[in-house]
Amino acid sequence: MSERVILVTGANGGLGRAIAQAFLEEMPDNLVWLGVRNSRDSAETLAGQFSGRCFITDLDVTRPDSWQSAVDTILARHQRVDVLINNAGKHSDSLLGTMSQKAWDEVLQTNLTAAFHGCQAVLPAMISQRGGRIINISSLSALLAPAGQTNYAAAKAGLVALTQSLAKEVARINITVNAVCPGFIDTESLAAMPPQQRQAAQAKIPMRRFGRPEEIAAAVRFLACSQASYITGSILKVDGGIF
Amino acid sequence: MDDPNALKQRIKELMVENLMLQTTTAEIGDELPLFGPGGLGLDSVDALQLVVALDKNFGLKIRDPEVAREILRNVNTIAQAVQQKMAA
Repeated sequence: MSERVILVTGANGGLGRAIAQAFLEEMPDNLVWLGVRNSRDSAETLAGQFSGRCFITDLDVTRPDSWQSAVDTILARHQRVDVLINNAGKHSDSLLGTMSQKAWDEVLQTNLTAAFHGCQAVLPAMISQRGGRIINISSLSALLAPAGQTNYAAAKAGLVALTQSLAKEVARINITVNAVCPGFIDTESLAAMPPQQRQAAQAKIPMRRFGRPEEIAAAVRFLACSQASYITGSILKVDGGIF
Repeated sequence: MDDPNALKQRIKELMVENLMLQTTTAEIGDELPLFGPGGLGLDSVDALQLVVALDKNFGLKIRDPEVAREILRNVNTIAQAVQQKMAA
């Protein structure tokens, strides 16, 4: 297979970094762009490690002009974009009764509206290429809708619906759109959880352990590979058996 | 592309190639409606692909759905829009 150009958003976080790394380690022809906003130390380390194949672009996923600029930069260099992974996300948990409008808006914008902008930005290139892969990182919260996450659960459930609806729209152009729903994954947000809460969360997982970022990355990489060409509109849970 | 007939032929070729139509360019009349009954039978996904192809090949950017509806009526209306873009 020839060169593939992959854009990963939220690439400075643990999950984004693991996804980017999985593509970089998969094959030498994969070129990976890391979309980052403020923090970029982890992304810079990865770009240095895979110099010449891994690049950083400024990307505020909530702004359509920022998306256009990032995609234009990628197209100017490679003339194509094959895979988009909408991974950027944020939490701002609280009960609905005390949730601020700001917490609602920011979570919806970052987890849902950002994916809309991202898909709009890459679709013209993918349509011209007559092919592409879009993988949206949703969450188990989209399916379980836990208390205290009305904003996050609604955004991630919206992302599932966006995935399935867009998949139908672009299927005939050979563009697949799928979502991955991670459960409890050992990343920064889980590390910030109090020990008692971590134990309680772990007890709910049939496998009795948290997932590793590489295990999510493996699912994403599969959905982007040539063997997954007939999979579209799918929602892949990767959660150690919670349902 | 100064020759209007050459331009219309190119537009028809783009449509056949990009929309993978099971028809020839000769079968697409200049006034044949692209959408709806009695026409070429394109749908909204075809329209999206056509908008991308027109941008890529002629630099014609169509962002407003209402404008798209006017431009994408038939080959003649597309050719007029492309000529206006080239003249601008």
